[in-house]
Amino acid sequence: MTGKMVTRRQFLKHAGATAALLGLSEAMIPQLAKALEQLSTSGKPPIIWIQGQNCTGCSVSFLNSNYPGVAEVVLDKLSVRYHPNVMGGTGQTAVQAINDTVAAAKAGKGIYVLVVEGPIPLSENGDYCTFGLNDTKKKNLDGTSVQVPADKTVHEWMQELVPGAAAVIANGNCASFGGIPAANAGVTGATKVSDIVAQIDPKKPMVNVGGCPSHPDWFLGTALQALIALKVLPGGKPLDLNSNLMSKTFFGQLIHENCERRAAFDAGLFLEDWNDQNPDMKLCMFKQGCKGPVTYADCPTRRWNSAVNWCVGANAPCHGCASPQFYKDLSPLYQPLPNVNFAGISPSTDVLGWVAAGATAVGIGAHYLYKQLGSKPEEAEGGEK
Amino acid sequence: MAQVISIDPVTRIEGHLRIDVEVSNGVVTDAWSSGTMFRGYEMLIQGKHPWDAQQVMERICGVCPLVHGTAASYNLDSAMGVKLPNNARLIRNLALGANYIQSHILHFYHLVALDYVDVTAVLKYSGTDPALKLLQANIAVLAKNNDLYPFLPRYASPDYIGEPGGPGDANLATELVGHYVQAFEMRKKAQEMLTIFYGRMPSFVGTIPGGVTTPPTLTNIAAFRSRLHDLQAWIADVYVADVKAVATMPAYSAFIKAGDSGGNFMAYGGFDQNQAGTDKYFPSGIIENYNLTPSAFNNQQITESVKYSWYNDSTEGLKPAVGKTEPQVTKSGAYSFLKAPRYNGKPMEVGPLARQLIKKDPVFMALATAIGVLTPPVKFGIIPRIGARAVEALLVSLEMDKWLDQLTLGIGSDIWDPKGKQIPNSSNGMGLVEGPRGALGHWITISGGKTGNYQAVVPTTWNGSPRDKSGVRGPIENSLIGIPVPDVNNPINVVRCVRSFDPCIACAVHIIHPENNSVKEFRVV
Repeated sequence: MTGKMVTRRQFLKHAGATAALLGLSEAMIPQLAKALEQLSTSGKPPIIWIQGQNCTGCSVSFLNSNYPGVAEVVLDKLSVRYHPNVMGGTGQTAVQAINDTVAAAKAGKGIYVLVVEGPIPLSENGDYCTFGLNDTKKKNLDGTSVQVPADKTVHEWMQELVPGAAAVIANGNCASFGGIPAANAGVTGATKVSDIVAQIDPKKPMVNVGGCPSHPDWFLGTALQALIALKVLPGGKPLDLNSNLMSKTFFGQLIHENCERRAAFDAGLFLEDWNDQNPDMKLCMFKQGCKGPVTYADCPTRRWNSAVNWCVGANAPCHGCASPQFYKDLSPLYQPLPNVNFAGISPSTDVLGWVAAGATAVGIGAHYLYKQLGSKPEEAEGGEK
Repeated sequence: MAQVISIDPVTRIEGHLRIDVEVSNGVVTDAWSSGTMFRGYEMLIQGKHPWDAQQVMERICGVCPLVHGTAASYNLDSAMGVKLPNNARLIRNLALGANYIQSHILHFYHLVALDYVDVTAVLKYSGTDPALKLLQANIAVLAKNNDLYPFLPRYASPDYIGEPGGPGDANLATELVGHYVQAFEMRKKAQEMLTIFYGRMPSFVGTIPGGVTTPPTLTNIAAFRSRLHDLQAWIADVYVADVKAVATMPAYSAFIKAGDSGGNFMAYGGFDQNQAGTDKYFPSGIIENYNLTPSAFNNQQITESVKYSWYNDSTEGLKPAVGKTEPQVTKSGAYSFLKAPRYNGKPMEVGPLARQLIKKDPVFMALATAIGVLTPPVKFGIIPRIGARAVEALLVSLEMDKWLDQLTLGIGSDIWDPKGKQIPNSSNGMGLVEGPRGALGHWITISGGKTGNYQAVVPTTWNGSPRDKSGVRGPIENSLIGIPVPDVNNPINVVRCVRSFDPCIACAVHIIHPENNSVKEFRVV
């Protein structure tokens, strides 16, 4: 028994199921079938996955991929040239895997997609995050001169790897928007990947995958969509992105719109005490700080960890981890979103559900909430369907 | 002549780690461990609502968010004077136990196994198992396309010889690679089990100050238990058996003793067995200088040295409760963004090996005796460290059934103490837990109803620490002394030793300027 290995001939059969699980539309299934078939018969598209100021949570989340499973992805779908947590090589043999891939692309023999996890620190010449070693440099230690290998900053790696990449995928909220490390940007200069890419090559195809961590389907689905858009895989359907450069397939709807506890919100039934097990209805988490009304992601329908559960399903608020505002601008995480003005009424959260339901204006409500949080209105609109 | 070899990146660990070792006459004679990334988590929650600490601090590491989030919860509980309900205690134990299972499986199969078996031997598989033949066919296609990434390129070990039962035995290697693939599914199942109570992984939401968020029900207990029993069987039949097969290969017999960190071990104690927290499944304790009769642990004996770390010297020697994190990347002589925590001034190895020795678990002690670990000279090398993890995964998974049995259902079975919501104007907290990688502590000071100071001292800071103010090496550095490196162009034994500690670096940073003693030549490998 070796897990979910499948033979090449089974791909077409699986394509429909994969598309459904990744949340891709019916119209994409023929394309996806072709794409998956191509992945198995010709060479696999190479990816180089590097880590900036990350926590490895998005890599661990990738390991949780349900379908296709990660063994199938690594053995049959993508040629993972560099990934610090899974690769066989270490030290120079790991760096060699990057160098060989870049050299091949430069020589016109294949492409690579660059995946970046975590933001890029720019303070202190980028010394807050390094991996690999530059050629030895002269340095003075204790007055003598010796050859010392110098640490290579992740910013130097970006300058080296972005120009030859077919596309760059910022995987997770920290890479996409700065996330938690950017809340401390005053010290390390943590900078989102798209800003670094824009400095190196403004025309480079670039896509963000939100989430802290990113959902494995969000990452794999977006990567597949990008490869199709790049015509590396057949189809050529352009990526449908919102103004935050996120795929609308996954980040097109408000969590609040699809929440399984929406009825409790509309009825004004809020969880106040975790010992209170309402026998009739699962209670709404709004008063415990739920950021579902301002967060665009498909968590309520996709769910997490092989669809076993999700944050609200565990009687906890959504913390808005897929939102560009996470973490700093959504803190305090367990306090209700600021009070909102609905047509001149300034309700407490006790009546918010009633007002929202009465006005049948959750979309409008969300825009008001966005304004209260001080984000740009176009960001809210960009996130919509 | 002595040479320093520099290994960066050290892969198949969490985070950014560089290891430099000095090699003379084929063995390591000195070593430096450098964390090479810094974010400043402790700084960014200062002035925020204390409840944020749990959600932010669990994101310090995506491999061990569960244990950081749990330590943060105990820390906040203590600051708010919470009395944890029995169900909350049990659910926290169950979630932490599930995380031990996923973390230990991941460590053996996905992080270290590739160092001990030759993945290319799969091409020579001659057995008849249909699934393994399919695996062989898959890998043959990759080999034909010259695309054996991410397994190759790598440092091949000269140990990969093809004798039966050895690291290059094609059929044995293929079985292990088959289990490597299965292990992805098994660790995923352990994560799913955890999310039944905690919502999702990584970055879970199921603990809050005062308790947990999901009450036990007949349905979720059954969903948890069915996965637990699958995992128990797999750990016993496959994981423990595979570790035993590798541990008893003659090619690796030297690693039973090689890789010893110096004979100091520490456990804070973990998994509360009663509501007061006075009885723990893993007892706390200190082992000094190989004396296997542990002495009592006293948290006031912990200090952090920063002489060789990229932090301001004014923060030298502070206790964690009043600790400070003031980065200074230009500091001369420093070489890591890991601090150097010490207990009573001494470095301490933490983790599964420390826990098993302090608990003196009879299962572990019998296995250790059988392979000669306790035969003088007593040394605790790479193999006992990896073995302790497998034994622990099995024993904790069996204990979890008992915790499930103790859950109570229905009215009055609280999961939360509302005192967790009452934020004091000023207070101090401490949360000590045993994570998969070892002793973990969080400390908080609340002032003006907001988070004032927050400090975390993590297992890899103990194990991977740089030298302290007395110049004494950290446990990983010390364990490397004497590791054989017959070929300076192939550091595989060095990384085998480093990986046996399961380092997780996400809480640190770096830049290295090794002291310039007699070392004249660096070699990047």
